Amino acid sequence: MTRDQLYNIAEDWFEQQDWKPFPFQKNTWKAFLQGKNGLLNAPTGSGKTYALWFPIVLSYIKKNPDYRTKHKKGLKAIWITPLRALSQEIKQSAERVTADLGTQMTVGIRTGDTTTNERARQKRNMPDLLITTPESLQLLLATKGYDKIFKDCMAVVVDEWHELLGTKRGVQMELGLSRLKTIAKELRIWGISATIGNLEQAREVLLGPFSQALENSVLIKAKLNKKITVRSIIPREMETFPWRGHLGIRLLEDVVPIINNSKTTLLFTNTRSQCEIWFQKILEKHPEFAGELAMHHGSINKETRLWVEQAIRNESLRAVVCTSSLDLGVDFAPVETVVQIGGPKGIARFLQRAGRSGHRPGKESVIYFLPTHAIELIEASALQKAVKENAVEDRIPYLNSFDVLLQYLTTLAISDGFYPHEIFHEIRQTFCYQAITEDQWQWLLNFLVMGSQSLQSYDEYKKVEIEEGGKFKVNNRGVAMRHRFQIGTIVGDANLTVRYQKGGYIGTIEEYFISKLNPGDVFTFAGRNLEFIRIKEMQVHVRNSNKKTNKVPSWMGGRLTLSAQMSELLRNELYTVSQEGKKQSVEIKSLAHIFKRQRQESIVPKPDEFLIESFKTRDGYHYIFYPFEGRFVHEAMGSLLGYRISLLSPITFSLAFNDYGFELLSDKAFDVQQVIDNDLFTTDYMLDDLEKSLNSTEMARRKFRDIAVISGLVFTGYPNKGVKMKHLQSSSQLLFNVFRDYEDDNLLFQQAFRETFEHQLEEGRLRISLERIETQQIVWKQCENPTPFSFPLITDRMSREKLSSEKLADRIKRMAALLAKR
Amino acid sequence: MLLISDVHLGKVSHFRKFGAAVPQAAVRKNFDLLTEALFHFNPQTLCFMGDLFHSSLNKEWRLFEEWVHQVDLQIILVAGNHDIISPIKYEELGIRVVSEIQLEGFLLTHHPEERQGFFNFSGHIHPAVCLRGGGRQSLRLPCFFKSENQLILPAFGAFTGTYVLEPNSRDEVYALTKDAVFQVRFQESKRRRRFSK
Repeated sequence: MTRDQLYNIAEDWFEQQDWKPFPFQKNTWKAFLQGKNGLLNAPTGSGKTYALWFPIVLSYIKKNPDYRTKHKKGLKAIWITPLRALSQEIKQSAERVTADLGTQMTVGIRTGDTTTNERARQKRNMPDLLITTPESLQLLLATKGYDKIFKDCMAVVVDEWHELLGTKRGVQMELGLSRLKTIAKELRIWGISATIGNLEQAREVLLGPFSQALENSVLIKAKLNKKITVRSIIPREMETFPWRGHLGIRLLEDVVPIINNSKTTLLFTNTRSQCEIWFQKILEKHPEFAGELAMHHGSINKETRLWVEQAIRNESLRAVVCTSSLDLGVDFAPVETVVQIGGPKGIARFLQRAGRSGHRPGKESVIYFLPTHAIELIEASALQKAVKENAVEDRIPYLNSFDVLLQYLTTLAISDGFYPHEIFHEIRQTFCYQAITEDQWQWLLNFLVMGSQSLQSYDEYKKVEIEEGGKFKVNNRGVAMRHRFQIGTIVGDANLTVRYQKGGYIGTIEEYFISKLNPGDVFTFAGRNLEFIRIKEMQVHVRNSNKKTNKVPSWMGGRLTLSAQMSELLRNELYTVSQEGKKQSVEIKSLAHIFKRQRQESIVPKPDEFLIESFKTRDGYHYIFYPFEGRFVHEAMGSLLGYRISLLSPITFSLAFNDYGFELLSDKAFDVQQVIDNDLFTTDYMLDDLEKSLNSTEMARRKFRDIAVISGLVFTGYPNKGVKMKHLQSSSQLLFNVFRDYEDDNLLFQQAFRETFEHQLEEGRLRISLERIETQQIVWKQCENPTPFSFPLITDRMSREKLSSEKLADRIKRMAALLAKR
Repeated sequence: MLLISDVHLGKVSHFRKFGAAVPQAAVRKNFDLLTEALFHFNPQTLCFMGDLFHSSLNKEWRLFEEWVHQVDLQIILVAGNHDIISPIKYEELGIRVVSEIQLEGFLLTHHPEERQGFFNFSGHIHPAVCLRGGGRQSLRLPCFFKSENQLILPAFGAFTGTYVLEPNSRDEVYALTKDAVFQVRFQESKRRRRFSK
């Protein structure tokens, strides 16, 4: 069959649906059928699934002219999705294509939700098209004879690649692809990504830098001009609108008319606890929404989530309160309006959420921004500009993630075993490990086999063995079993499943939250009030309760920061405060009385000014700095400055950060003039000082926690299987100390520091910020009371860093233990 | 008599045996510390207050044997929940394994216990105390935790965690730093002031 004949099949199908293929769809078909790899830049709901399912099926048709009568078995293509919740949707669109074109191809799903029976059946007889997650793909690589499964696979499609890029799941994907490239000779690799700043790099990471795959590839952009309108909800009574907070409940009544005036509304919150609270409060104040309002977040059980998604589609819901769990995939045509509650912390994310509304081509997307505290209105104003300029951020890919590599090598060792020279050659062609040295590689191999760099007496370390002929293999069933449970690079607190005593799964909850509850306590979860009964075998038993409660579980993961571009837009917005009224946005104007209050004791900085405020409260001496550079840069700058000040005289700080600035809080006073006189914002010795400051804060420790779990140093148990391995559990804190004291040259230990630099502190951005501050005039205001700008910072009791240059003994003398409340 | 609790020997080796590469060099630390303590106090009897070995027999036992042969004193083990190695193995080394010791008004157990007429020494808890100070500072330190008729010992082992206990006004708490022991001051817990505009 010629290529034109194949196109005709596809175009006929579109015609039957009364659709017309977009140019980007046709371009993708063509490139795929020419045997090319590529990256498709297309937003959610644009028909991207048809852009790739079609050429996959058409290729099969081409190779098997009697496709209508005969079925050639075996895996032909893999579709990777980062969220297993999306797999149903993708399966449906695939089945539509395979069935309507009259093929006998089968489509299957394999994720963490797939039953053991189904998995076993798949292993015997793979579906033609497999939809799976990066973790489940790794698990397939952990099965014996995996090469036979994949050898005739002709395509891998990595959906929502932008979500994976810049995470360790992305690294896992790079490794998986490096193996598949060798096994499947005719493999084409395709990625699908929403718009991000570094699309070209995204393609390079997917296909491998300097690789043949990259050379033979295309980048296709779906240029769908979509009109996006951003509207800020401005509090009517600005005077009483809070200076701090992150819930936004105050503006609940302003949301009600929005819900009433639109077919279906999605309310995006930033955290799952915020989501729970909003859901609860809307129903409390407006019981008339009962049955028409639903909630959707990652910890709610799958059936409920699927039900909600279905209900959105058949328009039986007025509104859904959700988190990023509804960011991706799933086409919801009936959604007319989107409300973003609190800063979205990223333009790409904001745009993606806006795009959830007005899904039909040509329709306008409307998104409301609801501020949770006064200063956030500045962000609202900056967002409007950002949307206009389409200023989206980059996703920074990881380099040399040794933890993920160790996990991968163990995976290969438990299936068929591996020969180092072969795998080294493959991984060196990935983006993540393009610069790995022979020495580092040898170190990793030693670590796998001996658990150290030299064989020691009395040691019983057991993991990977070297068989005769040089094959690296795991032969111990226990090691293999534990490793299979550990595969996956998303690390959270230990999760417990929440169930009714009589059965009935409700969702998962972090152990950290439950550990603070006593039996009889009532908490809100999945929109219900539940009484905590007991923990049994990693399960939380609960019963329904009528009691009111304000206990809402918190989930630690997913803290976000402003991008460099967004920070700049934010600063520029702030600078308009000092300009004439015409140049100000509505949001800035509405904040007039806040700025007035700010100016009573301090200033609103102009472009050439850098503001430092100091004041004393019962908590101690507060020093607030306002670089307006985003949380991560502030974290770095706070540690750096705190460290430099602590060199002047022994002092202990507690540090808080947000997107606008950072706070150094101490029980002792210090002279800010010294900061200015000693030029403490200098970029000289910046790296050196930063590194030293890291030793006195917790940042690297937290990174190490993930690394320890991914690389298999810490065993987390089998949360959902009810298997406890208490004798093998240790805190990563403890482990961090042991490494620091005995093996500080360990590559995994060092990785914790490197990652802190590259991904947490954004060293490059820090330098640019410091250079900018050096050109500004430092304005130090000694205030009597906390200023409006400082309020969100000084009231942040969570997530504080510590830094000290004092002797422990000196600190203990000034401290005391709180007596138990009785 | 020197009382030492919760050493958890063999923990590092146990982890390594199960494929978690905790630095092997950490194995020596416990033995070095034990030797140092004996050298410092020079007791006639050494009493382990339970959880001497973390789990089943592994090669660290041989290091322990060597260590026992080097030191010349009476050793007693008050067995704890982790001590699952057969008492016969201990007795071969001349170590007596008991479930508790009563001694002139003192009761030595692994699990904290209250018994009429006795002052109890125990381990098991791995007690720690949380200290607070101005500027929202806090510290968590292992400690000796003394209540009216009881003293809970801190865990001696280098590779062990801690559990925070909240004292009441009749308790005495002695916190440990790297090189010293401090008595901890107490402070009534008061409701934190909320900021208002």
